[in-house]
Amino acid sequence: MRRIQAIAWNTFREAVRNKILYSLLFFAVLIILSALAMGNLTLHEEIRMTRDIGLFGIDAFGVIIAIFVGVNLLYKELDLKTVYTILPKPLHRWEFVLGKWLGMLLTLAVQMGVMGLVLGVTLWLQGAHFDTPMVKAVWLLFVNVMLVTSIAVFFSAFSSPFLSGFFALGCFIVGRSVPDIRALAAKLGPVSKTVLETGSALMPNMHLFYPSGAIVGAEEVSVHGDFVNASYLLTATAYGVAYSLIVLIAAMLIFRKRDFV
Amino acid sequence: MSDVVLRADDLAKTFRLGFFRKRIEAVKQASFEVRRGEIFGYLGPNGSGKTTTLKMLMGLVFPSRGRAEVLGRPVPDRQAKRRLGYLPESPYFYDYLTPEEFLDLVGALFDVKQAERRARADRLIERVGLSSARGRPLRKFSKGMLQRIGIAQALMGDPELVVLDEPMTGLDPIGRKEIRDLMLDLKREGRTVLYSTHILPDVEMTCDRVAMIFAGRIRSVGPLSELLTARLLSTEVCLRPGPAGLPTLPEGARKSESPDGLVIDLPANADVDAFLRATLAAGARVHSLTPRRESLEDLFVREATSQSQGAA
Repeated sequence: MRRIQAIAWNTFREAVRNKILYSLLFFAVLIILSALAMGNLTLHEEIRMTRDIGLFGIDAFGVIIAIFVGVNLLYKELDLKTVYTILPKPLHRWEFVLGKWLGMLLTLAVQMGVMGLVLGVTLWLQGAHFDTPMVKAVWLLFVNVMLVTSIAVFFSAFSSPFLSGFFALGCFIVGRSVPDIRALAAKLGPVSKTVLETGSALMPNMHLFYPSGAIVGAEEVSVHGDFVNASYLLTATAYGVAYSLIVLIAAMLIFRKRDFV
Repeated sequence: MSDVVLRADDLAKTFRLGFFRKRIEAVKQASFEVRRGEIFGYLGPNGSGKTTTLKMLMGLVFPSRGRAEVLGRPVPDRQAKRRLGYLPESPYFYDYLTPEEFLDLVGALFDVKQAERRARADRLIERVGLSSARGRPLRKFSKGMLQRIGIAQALMGDPELVVLDEPMTGLDPIGRKEIRDLMLDLKREGRTVLYSTHILPDVEMTCDRVAMIFAGRIRSVGPLSELLTARLLSTEVCLRPGPAGLPTLPEGARKSESPDGLVIDLPANADVDAFLRATLAAGARVHSLTPRRESLEDLFVREATSQSQGAA
């Protein structure tokens, strides 16, 4: 455990000392704060605007950071050859991958925490507060970035950062569009329908993590209302964690067999 | 306790590179043993397969053939790694860390408790002479300083066996001497050292035994004293000729000029006593007389030449 913890803490420390992440965080905060100005353009919908823009900022920048850092997580170790020093230590290769992933999650948790805090302060300035639906929404977004990170790490175990980023972004876009793909499949012929349904079943359903405005259990849910119930939250989290672990185990298996030339 | 701490048995590695999976035989055959308490030199020219062999021994590269044992266990084994320290070639470390932070990380990977990690890191930073730079990020370190922190991290787990890949490369003469002295200190402490290099004078000064690898194949393994032939190759006489000039040179002798006079290189079968008597009788002044026996460099060149002729 100490070894995994050491790798995770070092990964977090690396991120904290990386100036690019601060720039991304700065832009995310800027977008959330821009909700204050945008709210003035609406008629009595300032708080709704702040919630929507704020969650959009957390979602978009969370995913950007997850892909940006995730695809470099293992590749950078190989490219900079730091792996030659670390892997001959009494450490299993899977421990190294797990430690890097946990460090990355810690980084994302802190980043999303900061963004959530800024959003909370913005809402407070408008006389509203960061209520339970918002906490649930940010939690689901965190599970989403965890999944995106795992996918990015998986691709980075065997391909370049560019390709890994491309594939991870592709998975995210397709994953978010799973309900649309299923709706399209229902209108197509049997062969196309089977192909699309199988494809969408294999892809991570990331729409689960941003259900605001969707129909869940015959009811339309929204962060402006009660949002999703605890059962939904638990199921979506379990799905995200399970999918992440499967992808992560695949990354570990690939990493285990690699020659570090 | 076994006398052999590391054993490479018929190791080979073939890489397949590029779109057409071109075969590159980095190591064709490597078999050798490293014995407890010795300094073992792994010699070879650039690109001969030294680093690939060491990477196979460290579990970074999987052999295509053969097997390796480190500290009595097959590679890669976590129990063996606990008793092993490794410095990679041209080491790259997390450059945003300070030496203290980096050694703390390495100590944690060896499951060393925090208080002990701190104490070991302090001792090692002191030992490799980086006390004044302990709070400086590694990205601000010179090549020599990085090599020293590399040695420190290799010792962080208090290893029985220390494996150093090209530890002298890129260092100035003082840096090389420091590393040589450190290896001799490690030997005095009872540790075993295996290092790869192509810098032959360092090997002559430090190694008990060596293995030589050329084009991926090991050519010689053994103590230097056994590998180097004791026979005389030639005798070099430095002299200033007298007024009567030089006597007739023995057959096969070569003459060249030097700032102090002449250098006569007499072949191994020449009668040196007779030549000296005749030279002194002719009024010459003899400055020095040096018998030349086979050096490591001669052996290295001999092996390299025979390997390339064999390949042709």
